[in-house]
Amino acid sequence: MHHSQLTRRSFLKRSGLSLGSAALADLLVREACADAAFPQREMRAKRVIHLCMAGGPSHLEMFDWKPKLAALDGKPFPSSFTQGQQLAQLQNTPLNAFGPRAKFLRHGESGLEISEWFPKLGSIADELCILRSMTTAQINHDPAHAFMNSGSIVKGRPSMGSWVLYGLGSESHDLPGFVVLTSTSRAGGAQPISSRQWSAGFLKSKYQGVALRSKGDAVHYVASPRGVSQELQRDSITAIDRLNQLEYTRTGDPEIETRIAQYELAFRMQTSVPELSDLSSESNETLDLYGLKTPGDGSYASNCLLARRLAERGVRFIQLYHRAWDQHDNLVNAMPIAAQDVDQATAALITDLKRRGMLEDTLLIFGGEFGRTPMGQGSGRDHHILGFSMMLAGGGIRGGTTYGATDELGYRAVENVLDVHDLHATMLHLMGIDHKRLTFRFQGRDFRLTDVAGRVIEPILA
Amino acid sequence: MRTGTPSPIVLFAWLALSSARAAEVEFNRDVRPILSDHCFRCHGPDSAQRKGELRLDLRDAAIARDAIIPGQPEASLIVQRIREHDPDAVMPPSDLHKPLSDSQRTTLEKWIAAGAPYQAHWAYVTPTKPTPPRTDIAPIDAFIAARLSTAGITPSPTADPATLLRRLSLDLIGLPPTPEEIATFVADPSEAAYERAVDRLLSSPHYGERMAVPWLDVVRYADTVGYHGDQNLHAFPYRDYVVDSFNADLPFDRFATEQLAGDLLPNPTPQQLTATAFLRLNMVTREGGAQDKEYLAKYAADRVRTFGTAFLGSTVGCAECHDHKYDPFQTRDFYRLAAFYSDLVQWGVYTDYAYTPNPDLVGFSNDHPFPPEIDVESPYLKARIDKLRAAIAERAKRALAEASDEERRKLATWSEARLGFVTAYADGFASGNQTVLEPAGRAPREDGAIVFEPGDPEKTRIEITPADRHLASIRFDLLPEGESGVLRQGNDAFFRFAFALRTMKDGKPEDAPLRVRRGEATDHQPRYYNGHEIRGIVGGWSLRVKDKQRGLSACFQFERPFELPDGASLVVTIEGNRARALRVRTSPFASCDPLAFDDLTPLRERITSPTPWNDPWTAAIGLRSSSFDLDAFQELVTLDRSLRECDGGLAKVVIAQPRAPRETRVLPRGDWQNESGEVVEPGVPSFLPQIQVTDGRRATRLDLATWLFAPENPLPSRVIVNRLWKQFFGNALSAVVDDLGLQGEAPSHPELLDWLACEFRDSGFRVKSIVKRIVMSETYRRASTRRLDLADIDPGNRLLASQNPRRLDAEFVRDNALAISGLLDSTLGGPPAMPWQPPRLYEHLQFPDRDYYPDRDERQWRRGLYAHWQRTFLHPMLANFDAPSREECSAARSLANTPQQALTLLNDDTFVEAAHAFAATLLSDSRLADDRARIDEALLRARGRSGDAAEHAILERTLSEARTRFQADEKARDAFLGIGLSRRTDRALDRTELAALAVVTRVILNLHECITRN
Repeated sequence: MHHSQLTRRSFLKRSGLSLGSAALADLLVREACADAAFPQREMRAKRVIHLCMAGGPSHLEMFDWKPKLAALDGKPFPSSFTQGQQLAQLQNTPLNAFGPRAKFLRHGESGLEISEWFPKLGSIADELCILRSMTTAQINHDPAHAFMNSGSIVKGRPSMGSWVLYGLGSESHDLPGFVVLTSTSRAGGAQPISSRQWSAGFLKSKYQGVALRSKGDAVHYVASPRGVSQELQRDSITAIDRLNQLEYTRTGDPEIETRIAQYELAFRMQTSVPELSDLSSESNETLDLYGLKTPGDGSYASNCLLARRLAERGVRFIQLYHRAWDQHDNLVNAMPIAAQDVDQATAALITDLKRRGMLEDTLLIFGGEFGRTPMGQGSGRDHHILGFSMMLAGGGIRGGTTYGATDELGYRAVENVLDVHDLHATMLHLMGIDHKRLTFRFQGRDFRLTDVAGRVIEPILA
Repeated sequence: MRTGTPSPIVLFAWLALSSARAAEVEFNRDVRPILSDHCFRCHGPDSAQRKGELRLDLRDAAIARDAIIPGQPEASLIVQRIREHDPDAVMPPSDLHKPLSDSQRTTLEKWIAAGAPYQAHWAYVTPTKPTPPRTDIAPIDAFIAARLSTAGITPSPTADPATLLRRLSLDLIGLPPTPEEIATFVADPSEAAYERAVDRLLSSPHYGERMAVPWLDVVRYADTVGYHGDQNLHAFPYRDYVVDSFNADLPFDRFATEQLAGDLLPNPTPQQLTATAFLRLNMVTREGGAQDKEYLAKYAADRVRTFGTAFLGSTVGCAECHDHKYDPFQTRDFYRLAAFYSDLVQWGVYTDYAYTPNPDLVGFSNDHPFPPEIDVESPYLKARIDKLRAAIAERAKRALAEASDEERRKLATWSEARLGFVTAYADGFASGNQTVLEPAGRAPREDGAIVFEPGDPEKTRIEITPADRHLASIRFDLLPEGESGVLRQGNDAFFRFAFALRTMKDGKPEDAPLRVRRGEATDHQPRYYNGHEIRGIVGGWSLRVKDKQRGLSACFQFERPFELPDGASLVVTIEGNRARALRVRTSPFASCDPLAFDDLTPLRERITSPTPWNDPWTAAIGLRSSSFDLDAFQELVTLDRSLRECDGGLAKVVIAQPRAPRETRVLPRGDWQNESGEVVEPGVPSFLPQIQVTDGRRATRLDLATWLFAPENPLPSRVIVNRLWKQFFGNALSAVVDDLGLQGEAPSHPELLDWLACEFRDSGFRVKSIVKRIVMSETYRRASTRRLDLADIDPGNRLLASQNPRRLDAEFVRDNALAISGLLDSTLGGPPAMPWQPPRLYEHLQFPDRDYYPDRDERQWRRGLYAHWQRTFLHPMLANFDAPSREECSAARSLANTPQQALTLLNDDTFVEAAHAFAATLLSDSRLADDRARIDEALLRARGRSGDAAEHAILERTLSEARTRFQADEKARDAFLGIGLSRRTDRALDRTELAALAVVTRVILNLHECITRN
């Protein structure tokens, strides 16, 4: 007998709750539901997988080929480009052009140009849409992550995953609706990340991202205490529920009903989370597709496979952080390693979703919190916010396209310039949400993920 | 059922509620919310966003443009536009998605017909004390009763005594009452007994702990800096200052003044300086590539937002980039407020990078602290020192008392063997025979010192055959200049030491490394890890010679005292040795502190006396030195380390330090790179009463603090009492506690709010007196049972016919479980505590990499407010129960009800450990004869009420099933009981009984009622 059937039935039998099973189910659904009533229009993407290349990957060795920059390699960078602009670690130093260290190749029918360090992404180029004119407002990692996630640098603002969950609720009744996975490259270049990047901010904490970890308990406190068997845990929760039910009868406090439902959900999570993390049922063919030698090893590839499993289970927003890309120096050696970490696995995730018929309603967002300078910093590149690339694929996105462009040296976005709010507006649009209408009143103001900005990038929509 | 015709009763009550409303339209209550929410965005205070040059927030301006023609709604342009059918012409514009409802349109028309009278926004008018509508009952109750009776609602009865006392106790001290306190109050629940309980709780030291929590949210108190590497910040003395201030009932204006400007007071006390940490609790960075000016702008903005929320209940933050859209805050006001803080010593980036050099912080790394900071005495640490010293003496005494004859003989033999040594070397150290292996050709002088030549390499190796083969300590003395000592180059050095045991094997020397457990030195220069000074010199002695006439000393203790085997010797390797004359000596003794050389002197007399170990302190030295009792040795060494960690009772705290003010400019659109904005001087928002500086000098933070609590300032008193009200009723009188502005909520009881604000102000800003008034009110004491009869007419219980049940805040969920179970360490204050926490929580934090070491003594059970507050990765138990990360000022926690909370209470080690301790307490209580009595007592402790038959049936069955289970599976039983720190008292109990009862107590600690104050 399937475990969850056993538990549900035994729960109802043993608890003798006056709450009928239909009422309980209703309660559970209600809790999983969103507070805002969306979608209001056609939903092209039911879920998002955000593949965050943390540290800020170089667009100039990834998606944005700049032959003129190559020609200028090692020569002074024209000051007409850089005058008066904000720099990070290149402050107070001479600025020289740093030519692209990777070759670019054309791929697929669309002929997308992608660097040789990302051959597998190249092989599915016709699925991809590259945004070459991204900009952001923050040049240091910490606030840039905050801005990319929440559209604001003021702390305490909800992350995009929380906004989506607030707007749409989750389809999963035994997993959190917003799940975060992290991995670290052997390439070095790991910069800290913070749980505020998946914080619900001023939204209710039920919308916050839940970090799923590869070692130990996948979710904090998801394992029963040592010595407490599943049966004992079940019986204990049943006793708690029954006593809570008596209290509900006594006081009528509706919070108690919710509490009972949450204990049931908690118990199901104790089963569903380990089941989710158990990759033993995945075929060798699938593991090979992802290039995964040790499933569950906490690598980016393993997390990509988990992302697919989360998507299958109805999780609304899945965020992967791969900490690998802060190549201030040694770019020519370190970035190919970081690229190897993600190239095959990202392509595999897209391929895998496609063959399961899920790519069409899953939106993938791939990119860092910013890009890197076309000027060199020794053997690497500094942080850069005036022009960089991101990649989208899946639900509602026109594959095999590029949008926007940077100038001839890859310094500044000059054509169809995009900012983070535009990315957010587009994401919400694909999920059937008008970004201007997804609001939450806090401190007397109706806040939005897109603040007072944001335009949907119509030309890239399928 | 909810739709259709309302029942007559409901309808009647609704009419009663809205009868005042029907009578006349009131601007503040009825009209302003509509204008503010739907119109001011484009026709309000923000000049940059204003459309059609029309503003509706000022009556004259609206009339001048014919938008409003008083008395003539049809002719007024705004009525025409809101009645417009053309979607392109209707107001508000349809793309704003803020359409007006029919009733809102009607309200505006009625208002214009009545002459369009404006009112100043209620919160911006200086409150005058209203007369309570009745004098036969307490003023609070009179205001509440008036609205209830208008609405025809009968208030709920007073809560039963047990519930009431539990409510009071949880609200005032954040801890549940004991069963004895409940019994006393239930026996005599009179008015006088209630007031006694109130007074007892108000004077409890735990009152300050409870009151501190919401304030710590407001001031965004945390133990780390928040940005990037999120390193440690020295702040806990500030947290203790807050607790102490509430306990002492420091008048709130003084409390605020000390925090805003303690450094500007004449001859500030250490407490007043500690208070200024408030100005240093903003998040700060030392990320590589960060820009000084950008971050200074962020810090300034944070301080203005915090000030606005904390004291003005206003969302001033909006004005960083544009004039406020709803409230009369202008961008200029924002930067004028920021200018108050431009006199603080601070840096945008707290380190020194090659590309962004910082001449003030030369040599700073990610491990350095965040200056400026001072040392202050910590009462907690002082008390802990006394406690630990007593524990050391106690442990030594016990070791001697429990020693077997065999052990006594061993000790006597050991003492006798030292007799010759102490006779020969009065200070406890001797050179023995030494050979300098490196550099070659050096040999000790007559006085034992090795003299080095200027060109000698910095590596030194010495072989020592000690005078006493029993070895516990080794000491290094750099001789003073008078004895031709001190450094052969410069005034700084970094000595690193390594030790080895040398034996001869096949004629060849073989060195085995020897570990040291402690090392201390005089004149050492601080070295840091993650913001904290590294204690001791085991990792190296960084020294600076300040006085050449004084010698310098370092001393190490070996991991364990040992006997040097025959033919063996000790090899000391020193790297970085710049000494001119260095004396190395060893000792068979180890004292509590390696540098407490004086402690060794009495040994001579003791060892030669017939009862050598009677003095416990000397006995402890004997135990550390001889290792005749290894258990005692280990415990003493642990106590020594804890004592060392008390840092002599001093703690560092970040403070405000004034300097010449920096220039402050208005930053257009908040852009820190734009230097075209106007230069501004400190000043307060232009629409509020102004600071009066008579001699034309620049206004200071002290002026700002004085201005805040001037009697004419309309905001701070209202803001503070409104927040206090929320603490005791779950809802504030004006529900949006962080915005009393136009977008906030008109108070449910405006007269009551003003009465409380005036009372607070006029009675000298005494928080305790307001709190007492609140909890003494009948309104506070009402039952919290849900009123189904009011579900439709007052669904939010804003009229307070009854109390609101409220889940405990995160810290108190923890405290409550620890208190119920008897585990709670109720000591006040002190360094951040490290409760159990899931492993590797900080794995994504670098600069530096770090780990988390849970406390392994009673500090494990400290109250939640003392838990280490890591901003980027807050303790998951606290986060799951909605504690804010405190990155930003937060005046209200939004309470959720999630599966993560269930998982925490079920599975977090702290709560499992509490269940064990709870069960142990019950089993150890001889008054409790059987399962039934124990379960009853457990329920009473956890909820303030014992169980009924149905509850007993459930729990007794749980107990008997658990008993059967653990009888059959002892491994599971032991694993379950193995969680947490094992406690001596538990060892006497039957393990199966303990585990089975712990299953029951775990169920009880998980009950909704247990984590709820009813």
